[in-house]
Parts: sequence; C-alpha cells; structure tokens
Amino acid sequence: MSDVLLQAKNVGIRFGGLQALEALDLTVHDKELCCIIGPNGAGKSTFLNVLTGTLRPTSGSVRFLGRDIAGLPLHRIARLGIARKFQIPSVFSSLSVEDNLKVARWGVPSPARPVGELLELVALTNRAATLAGELAHGQKQWLEIGMALAIEPRLLLLDEPTAGMTPQETLATAEMLLRLKGEFSIVAVEHDIRFVRALNCETLVLHQGRRLRSGPFHDIEADEMVRDVYLGRR
Amino acid sequence: MITRDRNWLLIFAVCVALAGVYPLFADGHQLTVIRDALIFGLFAASLDFFWGRTGILCFGHAAFFGIGGYIMALVTLNDAIPFGSLLGIIGAVAGAAFVAAIIGYFLFFGGIRGSYFTIVTLAMGVICQQAAVSWSSVTGGDSGLIGIPPIEFDVGGTHVDLSQDLPSYIFVAAIVSVVVLALWSISRGRWGTVLTAIQDNEIRAAALGHNAPLRLLVTFTLSAAIAGLAGALYVCMAGLVAPDLSGLLLSTEVIVWVAVGGRGTLLGPVLGAIFIQRAQQTISSFNPSLWPLLLGCVFVIIVFVLPDGILSIYARLKSLFKSRRRAQ
Repeated sequence: MSDVLLQAKNVGIRFGGLQALEALDLTVHDKELCCIIGPNGAGKSTFLNVLTGTLRPTSGSVRFLGRDIAGLPLHRIARLGIARKFQIPSVFSSLSVEDNLKVARWGVPSPARPVGELLELVALTNRAATLAGELAHGQKQWLEIGMALAIEPRLLLLDEPTAGMTPQETLATAEMLLRLKGEFSIVAVEHDIRFVRALNCETLVLHQGRRLRSGPFHDIEADEMVRDVYLGRR
Repeated sequence: MITRDRNWLLIFAVCVALAGVYPLFADGHQLTVIRDALIFGLFAASLDFFWGRTGILCFGHAAFFGIGGYIMALVTLNDAIPFGSLLGIIGAVAGAAFVAAIIGYFLFFGGIRGSYFTIVTLAMGVICQQAAVSWSSVTGGDSGLIGIPPIEFDVGGTHVDLSQDLPSYIFVAAIVSVVVLALWSISRGRWGTVLTAIQDNEIRAAALGHNAPLRLLVTFTLSAAIAGLAGALYVCMAGLVAPDLSGLLLSTEVIVWVAVGGRGTLLGPVLGAIFIQRAQQTISSFNPSLWPLLLGCVFVIIVFVLPDGILSIYARLKSLFKSRRRAQ
C-alpha cells in the first residue's frame, strides 16, 4: 500500500544471551493510531527504541517512508518526521515552559504551529513562564507531548505517556491524542489498560519479546490468552 | 527575563563608562595594568561563553590563548609579511579556531562530555605547553620570543599606532566591550537557549531535531577563537611570548576568574579577572609564594560555598531576606 509510513519487518534483537525481541512485524499507515501493550519486560520499550532507530535490530529491518533508519543520528531521525516522547519525562528543567516549546520548534526548519497554540493544546497556557523543572509530573508529561508536536511530526511515538498520571489525567491524555489523530500517525506503548481502552485502536500485544495477539482493541480485550498474560497466569 | 536583560545592559553600560573615564584619573603605569587585566578578562569571557552555557569545562583553554599569542608573534616578527599586525590577529584567531575545531570534532562527535572532556582538554593544554618548550627553533623554547612590535595599522588614511599607553588602553577596552556585548547577544538569544537545552538533556534536544554535537563544536570553536584573539593582543602589549601563556597555571587561573566572577554572566568573569589580578599583585608584593596557595583556597571555597560566583551573594541575601519576611 502506498500510505505506509513505518514498516518493521521480522525485527529481532539479541542482548548477549537474551533474545529480547523475536520476529516482530508492525505496519503503521499514515494518520493511523495504534498501541503496543504487554506486561512488564515484554519488550515494549525495546521495540519502540528499534522503531525510532536508536537501537539497531540484530535481524529484520525498520523502514520509514521506505528508508532504513537504523543507526541514523537522533536529530536526523527527528527531521525525517519522527517525534518521540520518552518514558521518563525529559523536559529542559532550567528553561521556562514557553522556551521548552520554542527550542522544540527551532529543531525543524519551518514549524507551522505557533507556540500559543501548542500551549493551549497541552493546557499549559497559564504556566508559560514557569520553569519546566517546577511543573507537576503530569504537566511535564504533557509538556513533552507538546514538544513532540512542535516538530510537526509525521509519526509520534509515545513511550508510556500516562506513566505516573492520575486516572483523570490519563483520560484527558487519551482525549488529547484522539483529537490529534488524523493529523499524523501515533504509536503509543502503554501499560495502562484504561488508557488503551479509551483510545480503542489497533493494538499489538507483546509477551516475552514476541507477538501474542494483534487486532482491534475490543477483540484483544475479550481474548482469554491476553487476560491470562496480564493477570500473570501464564 | 526582560528585567534580567535590562540589568545586564545597565551593569555593562556602567562598566564601559567606568573604563571610559578611568584614563582621566590614572597614570600610564596604572593604565597598562588595567589594559593587561582587561585582555585576560576577554580571555575569561571566552571561556565563560563555552563553559557558562554548555556546562562543559575546558581545562586547557590557555592552549588557545598561547596558540594565538605564538601565531601573532611569529607573524609580526617576520619582516617579510606586510600588514603584520592585522594578518597576525587574523592568523591568531583562525589558528586557535582551527585547532579547537579539530580537537572538538573528535570529542563532541565521539560523545565525550563532562569530566572526560575536562581531562582530555587538560592533557591538550599540557601538550601545547610542551610543544612550545620543545620546538625551540620556532617558538624560542623556554625563553620564548621577545621584541614583538606593538600593534599598528592604517584605517581610512589615519595611522593607528598602539605603542603608547593611552591608545593601547582605549583599543583594548573597545575590543573587550564589543566582543563581550556580541557574545552576550549570541548567548541570550536562540543559540544560547538551545545550548541550555542541550546542557539540560542532550538526547531530548537531539530527538527534537537539534544537531547537538555540531552546536557544541561551533560554540567551542568560537570560544577558542576569542581566546586566540586575547592571546594575540596580550603578546603585542607585553612584547614577548613564552610557554607559560599556554600553560596549566593560566588555564587554572582563568577558571578561577570565571568561577569568582560568576559563570554564565560573561561580564562577571571580566570583572573577576581584573579583581583577582589586582589582588595577586598586592599579595605577591608581600610574599611571592603566598599567591598560589591563596588562589587554590579561593578556588576550593568558591566551588563548595559559592558555585555561582561572588555576584551570587547578592541574590542569595535577597532570597534569604524574602524567606525571612515570609516566615514572620
């Protein structure tokens, strides 16, 4: 298909004696939203690192718009149109919220979205002058999403965007992503089932580095095997 | 942010005004003392431009000062080269920048940061000093080169000769003012903000599309170029160049000047350099061996008690009073 944005084929990665990922496939179409879920240690973050080109897979390939991105420098990957939100909130703590967004916008040649609009999107308009280091945890997560949006991505990769958020914040985050869906593709790695339920999208379930199930979330949720894995019965 | 900018400009204007009226009250000797201190102040500002914004400490910055000094000396001492002073300064700036670009390329793109960068640049400084001592056919070895002529050049038909105290003082004061103002405007704008972001979280900045190693390299190269300029000015004023000018002691001293004056303020390091050199002259006149001991103590105290420099005492007192008032 012509609107394929990101294609991972037969991706495997081995750390010494540990096969962290094995034979994973993922295709992300343009403006598609999908989730990767799985219990702790399933290889979600590792897979995301492979998808962003930060980790080179030991087998298989990752192509973004038909181009192999493994091993490219981080800033080149960003300029191709892949934005990323890290698992640990990584904002520039000694800069103000506004400057954080400005720095993000300066990363790309011609950013379209003005800072004011970004502030509004992540609900931080009245904290614009606050130092990012002084924000509450959930606000830092939002600011980082705002920074990722600032670079006009084709693809946004989110690593546990709701980690440490309150249930209300989690749902608000899901709503925000649903609003943004349609502007670009989003891949979210998540642990929190409520969040994925709220997104209700194509879902890939990982277990011990392998694909366990994939499909629309309501099918996944009904799956006995997935429930067993999540509850630790297998 | 805006009031901070205004305060900086205000202090800068006061300093320039003081430097401007100083010749009315000083004799020739005092002028040359302050002139030389200002050159070292420029050198301190060059280190602060890099260290203050990136948080990466270069422990061999005197290497660039020395390279600038030697290139200036070699060019102006060679009678075959026309426009010696002008070409010498250009060569000094370009030479220091070139060495910094080569070394910086391997360090920044090789992922060397933090203490490792400091250690490598420390070694670089030692190597430069050794080279200056050993390559005696060019550098004059331990005793260096003497008889470097003062700066002279023609501007629009007028001949400028800096062999006298007053013209050389004005020339140096003007250059230091312009360069410090230029460095400040670079570091407060977009360039400096992104550097602060890189200092906070380099991977995050890179993941937003910023080429962090390149930006660090350009900043380092510019910083070295200014250090080379300071070195070139100094050897013309002093009339000699020696291996000490690229040595470990000067590298340490410049760090102390920046630390005392306040890292990241650009103006503070210039004041720190002037202030400490005055203190050095006074103290050395009692006992020459007392100074290194005191310098070391001051360094340790600054690092442990006032990591943001002497100027931060004011800010600290202010916040102390504020919290007192709140407590009452």
